[in-house]
Amino acid sequence: MKKFILNKEKTDLNPTDVQIKRQKDFSRLHHEYEKVTKRSKRPLYKDPKLFMLLFILGLVLFLMFYEG
Amino acid sequence: MNRKPNSNIFSDAELVLLAKKKRSDFGLLYEKYFDQIFRFVFKKLGGMEDTAGDITQLVFMKAMANLDKYEDRGFPFSSWLYRIAQNEVALFFRGEKKNYSVPIDENRITELATEADIGSKMSVEQQEELVEMLNGLEEGQLEIIELRFFQELSFKEIAEIYTITESNAKMRVYRILKKIGKKWKGEK
Repeated sequence: MKKFILNKEKTDLNPTDVQIKRQKDFSRLHHEYEKVTKRSKRPLYKDPKLFMLLFILGLVLFLMFYEG
Repeated sequence: MNRKPNSNIFSDAELVLLAKKKRSDFGLLYEKYFDQIFRFVFKKLGGMEDTAGDITQLVFMKAMANLDKYEDRGFPFSSWLYRIAQNEVALFFRGEKKNYSVPIDENRITELATEADIGSKMSVEQQEELVEMLNGLEEGQLEIIELRFFQELSFKEIAEIYTITESNAKMRVYRILKKIGKKWKGEK
């Protein structure tokens, strides 16, 4: 929740150039963006869970067609 | 030699196109608008540099991630960033259990009081009463008042944020001011 109050202490409500410079960092943003959007580079055979899932799925499909 | 594009020689539409093709070129838009958006968020939070920095980064992150959905309607790119920033700050306050106080300068209140036909000379107590009255406004109305008087945006900028016409923005502001003035006089 926010509430407005009167600035009785007369503090400066604008950020200083130093504060802006300190927070401005495109390389950090770009790095985070890459981390969030890029897929894992881990190959399939190194992911045992996904490998097993695909293997079982393939086996089930194979058996279904074989029996049919 | 492969020279990096300069944000000053390209229009917003061209910068957006560049960034859509190559996300690292989003840095040009970041470079152009970071200061403006950081100031906006900082003032909206009433300081809190690090939180303002995190929220501003989040604003640009969302803009970067949703850039393909962005449609150029002739408004500056900053109006889209302002909209994202408004939402992010609102989400921040909604998610916090703690109550935050956002200071407003005396001259901003005086300007608002003059425009609302309340009077240009007010005592500190009266100013505090007016601030309290503002706190009781509906969220949407307070947002417009905040943009106009505390963020000191022009009617044109407000219109761009809400994607409305400038005269519509003026009408909205003056309607709220009239309401404030009426309420003030009714209470006195």
